[in-house]
Amino acid sequence: MFRHVGFHMPRLMPKHLLLLLALSLSAHADPVSFSREVMPLLSDNCLSCHGQDAGHRKADLRLDTPEGAREVLKSGDFMARIVTTDPEEIMPPPKSHKPALKPEQVALLKRWIAEGAKWGKHWSLEKPVKAKVEGHPVDFFVKARLAKEGLSLSPTAPPHTFFRRISFDLTGLPPAPGVIEAANNVDGLVSLLFMSHHFGERMAMWWLDAARYADTDGFQSDASRTNWPWRDYVVESFNANKPFDQFTLEQFAGDLLPNATPEQKLATCFHRNHMTNGEGGRDKEESRIDYVIDRVNTMGTVWLGLTLGCTQCHSHKFDPISQHDYYSLHAFFNSIDEDGAAGTGAKPYLSYQSPHAKRAVDEAQTLVDARKPVEAKAKADAAKPFEQWLAERQTAVKDGFQAWHILHGTVESQEGSKLAQSKDGTITASGPNPKQDDYRLISALNLPRLTGLKLEVLPQNGALSRGKDGEFILTDIKVQVRRKGSSQIRDILVKSAVADTKVEGKAREYGDVKGTLDDDPRNGWTTKGFPKDQPHTALYGLAEPLILESDEELIFELRHRSTNGDANIASFRVSATDQPGPAVRELGPTPLEQLASGHPDRHRLLDQFLEDHAPYQLAKASLDLANAQLKEVQAAAGKLNVMVLAERKEPRDTHVLVRGVWDKKGDVVQRDVPAAIAPWPAGTARDRIGLAKWITSKENPLTARVFVNQIWQMLFGAGLVRTPDDFGLQGQRPTHPELLDWLAVDFMENGWDVKKLIKLIVTSETYQQSSDHTSPSDPQNLLLSRGPRFRLPAWMIRDAALASSGLLNPALGGPPVRPHQPDGVWEEIFMGRFTYEPSQGAAQHRRTLYAFWRRSIAPTFLFDSAQRRVCEVAMTRTNTPLQALTLLNDETMMEASRALAKRMLGSPSSNRLQLLYQSVLSREATPKELSVLQRELDRALAHYRAHPEDARKLQTTPELAAHTLVASMVLNLDEAITHE
Amino acid sequence: MSESSLNTTRRYFLGQCTGVSVGAMALHSLAGQEVTGLPSLPHFAPKAKRVIFLTHSGGPSQLELYDHKPGLMPWAGKELPESVRRGQRLTTMTSGQKQLILPGLTKFSRCGQSGATISEWLPHLQGVADDLCFIKSMTTDQINHAPAMTQFLTGHQLPGRPSLGSWVSYGLGSLNRNLPDYLVLISKMQRPSDQPLYDHYWGSGFLPSRYQGVKLRNSKDPVLYLTDPAGLPRHLRRGMLDGLAELNQMRFEQTQDPEINTRIRQYEMAYRMQSSVPELTDLSDEPDHVFEMYGPDSRRAGSYAANCILARRLAERGVRFIQLFHPDWDHHSRLPSWCTARCRDTDQPSAALIKDLKQRGLLDDTLVLWGGEFGRGVAGQGKWDSPEAGRDHHPRCFTMWMAGGGIKPGITYGATDDFSYNVAENPVHVRDLHATVMHQLGIDHERFTFRSQGLDFRLTGVEPAHVVKNILA
Repeated sequence: MFRHVGFHMPRLMPKHLLLLLALSLSAHADPVSFSREVMPLLSDNCLSCHGQDAGHRKADLRLDTPEGAREVLKSGDFMARIVTTDPEEIMPPPKSHKPALKPEQVALLKRWIAEGAKWGKHWSLEKPVKAKVEGHPVDFFVKARLAKEGLSLSPTAPPHTFFRRISFDLTGLPPAPGVIEAANNVDGLVSLLFMSHHFGERMAMWWLDAARYADTDGFQSDASRTNWPWRDYVVESFNANKPFDQFTLEQFAGDLLPNATPEQKLATCFHRNHMTNGEGGRDKEESRIDYVIDRVNTMGTVWLGLTLGCTQCHSHKFDPISQHDYYSLHAFFNSIDEDGAAGTGAKPYLSYQSPHAKRAVDEAQTLVDARKPVEAKAKADAAKPFEQWLAERQTAVKDGFQAWHILHGTVESQEGSKLAQSKDGTITASGPNPKQDDYRLISALNLPRLTGLKLEVLPQNGALSRGKDGEFILTDIKVQVRRKGSSQIRDILVKSAVADTKVEGKAREYGDVKGTLDDDPRNGWTTKGFPKDQPHTALYGLAEPLILESDEELIFELRHRSTNGDANIASFRVSATDQPGPAVRELGPTPLEQLASGHPDRHRLLDQFLEDHAPYQLAKASLDLANAQLKEVQAAAGKLNVMVLAERKEPRDTHVLVRGVWDKKGDVVQRDVPAAIAPWPAGTARDRIGLAKWITSKENPLTARVFVNQIWQMLFGAGLVRTPDDFGLQGQRPTHPELLDWLAVDFMENGWDVKKLIKLIVTSETYQQSSDHTSPSDPQNLLLSRGPRFRLPAWMIRDAALASSGLLNPALGGPPVRPHQPDGVWEEIFMGRFTYEPSQGAAQHRRTLYAFWRRSIAPTFLFDSAQRRVCEVAMTRTNTPLQALTLLNDETMMEASRALAKRMLGSPSSNRLQLLYQSVLSREATPKELSVLQRELDRALAHYRAHPEDARKLQTTPELAAHTLVASMVLNLDEAITHE
Repeated sequence: MSESSLNTTRRYFLGQCTGVSVGAMALHSLAGQEVTGLPSLPHFAPKAKRVIFLTHSGGPSQLELYDHKPGLMPWAGKELPESVRRGQRLTTMTSGQKQLILPGLTKFSRCGQSGATISEWLPHLQGVADDLCFIKSMTTDQINHAPAMTQFLTGHQLPGRPSLGSWVSYGLGSLNRNLPDYLVLISKMQRPSDQPLYDHYWGSGFLPSRYQGVKLRNSKDPVLYLTDPAGLPRHLRRGMLDGLAELNQMRFEQTQDPEINTRIRQYEMAYRMQSSVPELTDLSDEPDHVFEMYGPDSRRAGSYAANCILARRLAERGVRFIQLFHPDWDHHSRLPSWCTARCRDTDQPSAALIKDLKQRGLLDDTLVLWGGEFGRGVAGQGKWDSPEAGRDHHPRCFTMWMAGGGIKPGITYGATDDFSYNVAENPVHVRDLHATVMHQLGIDHERFTFRSQGLDFRLTGVEPAHVVKNILA
């Protein structure tokens, strides 16, 4: 259901745990297996105090080595302390919160001792060996295991289910029409799917999660980076079926290879995909150490399946890796030519030009070319109404037109200034003069709408404030609306501010009037340095015209909250206008005032007219977005800085860090690898090339097993080892150890051929079984008595909706895109520092792999996805109402539903519902299903025919709206979002 | 759903053993019961049913707000003695300058019967002093924002662990079938914040993601994707979900996969949330005197003050863990304008929340927390005697307060030295705070673990953590 939790939870003894116990006990006739039976018991119950971590070791007793345990085993103390009832004596002690051993566990230990207490290694540290098999190796082991329980494989899945399964597994997409027909058999189908470039994309999505790839740094500034060419390197590597040992070598040490190609250097970006912290005040060396640690931990999880992170602070309590080992690995990554900086200073960089960007530029250019004439036509179309408008205005403005209307109303002060408004609208402060004050003017609005406000600061006795120096500082303004009798106030967004005193203000200084828009009391408007016996004016433009209901009032608030204070405005006046555009953005007479005075400026008049002319604004906004997109991809098509590995000239010394603290340096260590895993490959230099060779050496018992397990997890929803990130003592043991080993050895023997491995698995009967839950005995499918049934990852659900509706843009690679996401999501995290503009045109419908990944807020439509902060290889699958809401209402899902509805309407009405089922589920609907679909379609049709206004709100006709709803229902079916 | 399939589901769930599954949750609601968390919890009778955590991000200055040090005046402008500093690390923002002492800039009063010292910048909190328990001896390990806030909320400086709210939601489950168990409310600010509020602050880490905090947004979609598209009336949505459930049920009969029944339940919950969440966030049924109590800002949706009203409404509806975030307390400069601005945002509503909960009888079983990720240093940043001066981050001591939920009201616990630099008595580490919050909810923090990557993790980590017994009522 979700990431595996393990069996440690205190709960009822459930059926399948009993089954497991029975399984482990069923081997009674054989001698006790140290690695399978004894070691886990010791690890769970003893090693946290009696392991290799000397810092936490109690009673100076080690039970993780035969030497350490010899004496207590010989003396009989070992068993005595376990079976005693004395609470002072018993092991594990009560204060460890570990329960006493169960009788069967005690019996097991006794048998083991009776058999001579033979010691061995943890299973994953023994080299895998290939057992002899007959027939398909996968089926051989799985069937043998099932036979022991008197079970067998389930029947083969129906063809459409199998096609969907294999298509999702190999390409992340539902079967494309025609592909199935083109293949004669499973082998042929697999070959066809491997030929699709979608294979590499599917694999890359997995690899990017493991690589904690993102398009931003993370942390405070979360600046963008341009490492996406590395993502395309990954896609291409999988498509080219690059052997995994080579893929590993390039990502660890592409830069060190003789005559390294740009792509090999690019590959090392893997080890730069960690977060980078540019927080002010952060010590860069601390950050740099963090990055090195991240690399070692990521290597541990992805390649070795070991929780190396534990050994950052202390020797591993369970696995045979010491803190020295950890920092010896650290040493391989400690001399990168980096200094811990983030943002644009995160050297070393590779200057790289992506071959995939040009396509994006062409696509963006095509969109601009398509939208340009639309905008031009809208402008041309506006000419006539403009003349008409101008003629009307000409008559209307004859008698001294005034654009600005002085606001009269109630005035309030927060801190005690006495405010009074005179007949001409001037508001003057008297009485107490507090250090800081907020003024509020509450007024009705006698205008059809409000587009902007004018603030005039008026001199009083030759000064603008009553403060010592006679200068004012306005730190912030607020425009709000309150309905009479209502308890609540709404904020009105002010977009622009201009003043007659322009200063080149630095951020967080007083001067520029724009500082009054940001709620920050450290900046704001002052006219200091300009005459203080003269009036000064500021104009505020609203983001959108505001129409007030008759019972609504306008509130204009002026905040004087400067650091030193004593700068409250002495006298001021506020006016309002309904004129758009230049009137509120430019000081001086408005276009219509110029017209009234006989000096019309046609250019400004046209600007103002167009501002209000919706058809033109629509076309222009659309063109602006396309142009912005073009500019962005053009920039991405040039030389980019991609973060890569490169050694610095002088290697750094590497120290053990005491308790893992970055500046607590202990012993100096040299580059080395944990001997308990595998020996250093003879004759190899101690550099990252050597490290990669050690990882993929045939002597290394972990890498191939870990990789095979991850592939298995991808295909079956859960690995043969259900803790893919932990092959250590605390991880789970493989459900089919011999199968795992056979596949691992075979994978290495075949030159780390990834496609061959996948093909082997998917051509097994085990893979092709039905996933129906026919047998209740094995709810978690540990024995593989049925096919895998699990919810598709969220990214695949999105891609599938795009593909089955025909919207998918199948292009490969290139700069990231921005799929639909609700408004304001980035803005609220960063308080407006980043805005999210969804991609335009065909770029909107790219695969999710290409979605821009902001580390501090992952794409909202992806649930249960890896967070891409640190490496993650385990799968999480939850089932929540928030997912239901996403799939019901996400704009992409709605677009796909509409596109499906359009397709349906293009075929005869008798065939439409079947077409829908075929497109989404690759099968026909049953008569029972058809009747439900038809009922819902009829219900929706009846509604939308009776209420065409609702259809219009959906931007559709009644027919299209009703079919859209039914399509959305089918896209939400459990079957549609499930790997069956 | 037919009786037989319901039974299958029930049998299946009783057979599940790994952790608490979403399916098990759905089972409880199938049976019409309150949705509960782990069967082993609570470990003992809880004092608090729910938590409201008023999180003030950026590092509010204890020296200006609560930790009164009148003895500092003669030290003004003098260098901080090394005997006090004892090698404390500084951020690179001030490590290059002399550490010249800037005494607290505010006047303090002794408030209420308890005589707690509270700054003039917090006049409303002065009025509820007798309901609060101040901890002046809070301490943390981290000096930069993101690691410190991550530790403050998840117990560890690196992202990836579950937040306190997620642990609580996972362990204790929900008291409300129509709302998520853990809700997060963030003040809407106009200025770009220097410290983004990362979603890992309320993330579920290695716990299943259903336990992550759900952010209530101040927009037409208070929960992402909540609102149906315009032109889709409720009765059509209802019909569509009925059709969906019927088709899914057919699939269940074919596949017998119990996950399908859970999915049907989740779509129903989604439908219910579409009414319960807007009803919750619409404050128009609150009377005027409530807005007057919470202050003028409370009329503005998205403000901290409006969020305080929402917090009370969530508490009334049985939401387990309610977390407010108010950003922008990182006052490296201009304390008199900048810090007062944040005090103005939060003082009256925080006090009103305490009064309001108390009036409604909710304070007894609601634990309210107020605090940020660290404190601020006694040395002035910038020119110490200029109004421009601010303070740098300081992890060694800071002040928090708690109220309700079985905590002793009207006391001050712990103390700092004369410089508000080191803890002088009764240190309370962040993990002690976590242990104490858990304890009030009936959880023994040492026994509440989750296995991930081969280790049994707990919120309070590997170092010893202690429940602060002396502040328990």
